[in-house]
Amino acid sequence: MNMKWLSDWFEKIEPKGKWAWLGSTYEAFHTFAFTPKTVTRSGAHIRDAVDMKRSIIIVVIALIPALLFGMWNIGYQTNLAAGTDWGFWHCFWFGLLRMLPMIVVSYVVGLFIEFAFAQVRHHEVNEGFLATGLLIPMIVPVTTPLWQLALAVAFAVIIGKEVFGGSGMNFLNPALVARAFLFFSYPTHMSGDKVWIANDLWGSDAIAGATPMGELAAGMHPTASALDMLLGTIPGSTCETSVIAIALGAILLLFTGIASWRIMLSVFLGGGLMGLLFNAIGYNEYMQLPFYYHFLMGGFAFGAVFMATDPVTAAQTNTGKWIYGLLIGAFAVLLRVCNPAYPEGMMLSILFMNCMAPLIDHCVVARNIKMRERRLAK
Amino acid sequence: MNTETIKIKKGLDIPLGGCAERYVVDARSIDRYAVKPTDVVGFVPRLLVAEGDSVSAGQPLLADKNDPRLTLPSPVDGVVEAIVRGEKRRLLEVVVKSGKRKVESEAAQAAPDTLSSSHLPLSTSAPVWWMLRERPFGTIANPDHQPKGIYVSLRDTNPLAPDLQYALRGREHDFEAGVAALQALAPVRLVRAEGPHPAGNIGTIVAALDPINKGECIWHVGAQDVATIGRWATTGEYRPERLVAVGGPAAKAPHYYRLTVGACLKRITDAQLMDSNYPHLGSAPAATRIISGSVLSGTRVEADGFLGMYDQQLTLVEEGDQYDFMGWLMPGLQKFSFSKTFLSGFARLLPTTHYPLPTQFNTNMHGSVRPFLFTGQFERVFPFDIYPLQLIKACIVGDVELQEKLGIYEVEPEDFALCEFIDPSKTDIQPIIREALEVLRKEAIA
Repeated sequence: MNMKWLSDWFEKIEPKGKWAWLGSTYEAFHTFAFTPKTVTRSGAHIRDAVDMKRSIIIVVIALIPALLFGMWNIGYQTNLAAGTDWGFWHCFWFGLLRMLPMIVVSYVVGLFIEFAFAQVRHHEVNEGFLATGLLIPMIVPVTTPLWQLALAVAFAVIIGKEVFGGSGMNFLNPALVARAFLFFSYPTHMSGDKVWIANDLWGSDAIAGATPMGELAAGMHPTASALDMLLGTIPGSTCETSVIAIALGAILLLFTGIASWRIMLSVFLGGGLMGLLFNAIGYNEYMQLPFYYHFLMGGFAFGAVFMATDPVTAAQTNTGKWIYGLLIGAFAVLLRVCNPAYPEGMMLSILFMNCMAPLIDHCVVARNIKMRERRLAK
Repeated sequence: MNTETIKIKKGLDIPLGGCAERYVVDARSIDRYAVKPTDVVGFVPRLLVAEGDSVSAGQPLLADKNDPRLTLPSPVDGVVEAIVRGEKRRLLEVVVKSGKRKVESEAAQAAPDTLSSSHLPLSTSAPVWWMLRERPFGTIANPDHQPKGIYVSLRDTNPLAPDLQYALRGREHDFEAGVAALQALAPVRLVRAEGPHPAGNIGTIVAALDPINKGECIWHVGAQDVATIGRWATTGEYRPERLVAVGGPAAKAPHYYRLTVGACLKRITDAQLMDSNYPHLGSAPAATRIISGSVLSGTRVEADGFLGMYDQQLTLVEEGDQYDFMGWLMPGLQKFSFSKTFLSGFARLLPTTHYPLPTQFNTNMHGSVRPFLFTGQFERVFPFDIYPLQLIKACIVGDVELQEKLGIYEVEPEDFALCEFIDPSKTDIQPIIREALEVLRKEAIA
C-alpha cells in the first residue's frame, strides 16, 4: 500500500518552534499510522518485528471473543428476566448498545489523561491503556452508571499508574484499581443481585438476577448448571461470564507468547488445590462445591487469563511467576469461601498479590545472588 | 586435542538470508590495511610510528598508554600511509599500505613436518598477544593476571558466521601448534557448543563450564587466531589471516574470502553491493549497511572501510529507513518475530518447510522506544544463570554493587545481543552493558 501522501503530510505537520510542546501527541498519532523509519544505531543491527503496539494489540484481539459474547449475553439476560422472546441479533444489538457507551467513556477519559500526562512530561504516549481501557468496561456490572465508570477510569489512570511514572512503573493492575475503586466507593452498584441485568428501558426499575456466587454466599446451591457457567449464559459482570470465550483469548495470548503460561497455569492450579482442600473440610455448601466450579464462576477465569498475567504488575522472574499464580488462585478461592462479604475474591486476590510480587521477585533474585556468593566462597 | 562439548537449549537462530557459500576467494592481495584501536576495549593508543615510516609485519604501531607492554602490530610489510583521527583528535585508524608482498611458495605455506619442541614463548612481546582477550571487560589479556583457562570456541553461532571447521581446513598443524603455545600460559579448553545462538559465544561457554566469579578472569582467543599464533610460534612469522564469511540479505554473491586482518573492504563491497534499485521499493534507491562482524553485535563500517580487528565475518543488510503503514496492525507474513505475534509465526508451524516465507530483514527498529513492560522474554534467549532484566536495570541505574551481585562479570554486551533483538520495548541493551562494564573496569585499574 503506497501511503506516501500520508507520510509526507505527517512530516509536513511535525510540530516545531512554538508548537514543539505538542511532540508527544504528534508522536502518538504518527507512530499509530506508521511504524517509524528509525534505524538501529549499533549493537543488534536488525530487530525483531514485534513492538509495544503489536504486543498490546494482541491483548485487545484476545479480548474480542469475550467482548462479543458479553454483548450478546447482556441482551440474553435481560430477555430471560423480562420473559420476552428476542432472537440472537436482538440480544446482541441490545448488549452492543449498552457496552459501546461504556467503552467510549473508558477510552475517552483514559486516553485524555494519558495524553495530558505524556504531554506534560514530554514522554511518549504509552500503548498500555489500549488494553486497560477495554478491560475496565468488561469487568463491571452492566448497570454501572457512566459517570461512575468515568471516575473509576480517571482514578485508575492517575492513582493506579501515572503517579508512579506511567506504564511499566505501576505496581497495581490499573483495570483492577478501577474495579476496586467502584467496589469500595459504590458498593450498592457493584454487588447484590440487582446490578447484573440490564434494564429493557434506560433507567427504570432494576431487575433481580443473582450470580452463582451471590447464591452461594447466601448459602444456596447455584441454580445455574456447570455447563451454563462454562458457556457463560449466566448473570455477571459484562464480559467475564463465558469461560469458553475467555479460553479462546487465552489460546491466542499463549500462542503468541504475550502472556505467561506459568502464571495462567499456576492460578488454576492454586485455585484447584484450594478448592480440593475445602472439599476435604466440607463444612458447608460452599466448601462442598466441586473445585472446578471455582474456575467457572465469577471472574476467576477472566482474572487468570487477562489480569494476573499483566506483565508489569506480576512477578517478573519465572520462579516468582509460579508462586505468584499459585497464591492468586488459592487466595481467590479462600476469599470466596470464607468471606461472604466479598463474593468476588479474584479482584482482591490479584491486587494483593500485585503488592506481593516485588517481594516474591526479591526473594527469587536473592537466591540467585546467594548462589553466586557460595560459588565465590568455594 | 581434547574437545569439550556443551549443549545449549535457550537461544534463537535468526533465519537471516545470504549465508556464505563454501568457496574461497583469496583477497590477500588487497594493499591497504588499518589497525583500529577503537576495536580493542580499554586500549588507549600511543603512536609508535609516523606517517611515511616503513614498517614490517608484526612491528608494533600502537602501544597502550596504561600498559605499554600491550601493542597492536602492523599486519603487513609496508608504509604507514595515514593516521586517521576523529573528534577530539581521537585516534581511529593507522592505515598501512602494503609493499610488494612476498609470494610464498606452496611449500612454505605447508606446515612443518614435526612440531618443533622449541616454540617461541608466547609473551606480550609477541605480535600475536593482542589476539588474546580477557574477561571480564573484554580487554587484551593482562599478562599480570593468571586466567582460570584459555577458551577457544570451535563453533561460531552468530547469524551467517563462518563455519570454523571449514575455515581451519589446511591450518590444522598451525592450530595445534597454537594450542600448544597457549597451553604454556594456562589450561586451554577447546569447546564445541551445540544448540542455537548464543551457544557458541565465549560467554555462554564459560557460563556453562566454569562461570567467572568476582576477582577471577579467563582468556579467550578466536579459533582462526589460534592458527595464526601457532604459525608465529613455530616459524616466527606473523601472518594474521582469517577466512571471512561475507554474506547477508543484501550481498550479491555470498561466499568466503581469505583476508589479512584489517583489510580494506573496498574490493569486496564493490563486488558484493547490490544495484541501488530494489524491485519492491519502486525506484527508491536503498542504502546498504555494511557491518564488520555479526549482524547482532558487529560494527558499522563504510564501503571503503576496514575489517575489524577481531571480526571474521562481514554482513550486508539493507537500510530500513522507510515508514511502514500501520505496521503494528498488518498481518506481517514476511516479518520475523520471535514472539509469534505476526502471521509469519503461524506460518512457521506449517509442516512443509522450516521457514517457508521470504523474510525481510533490514535495519529498521520496527517500533519506538518504550519502558520495559513485558517480562520473561529475555530468559528464553539468555542461557545464563543470571536474571537479565534485573541486571539490565541495575546497569541503567548504575548500581555497581547490585550489578556485581547479579553477575555482571560473567557477561559481555554480545551476550545480550539476542535480548536486544527480541526486545519489544526497543531498548539498546548492548551499550548499556558496555557502559556498566567500563565503569567497573576503570574502577578496577584505578
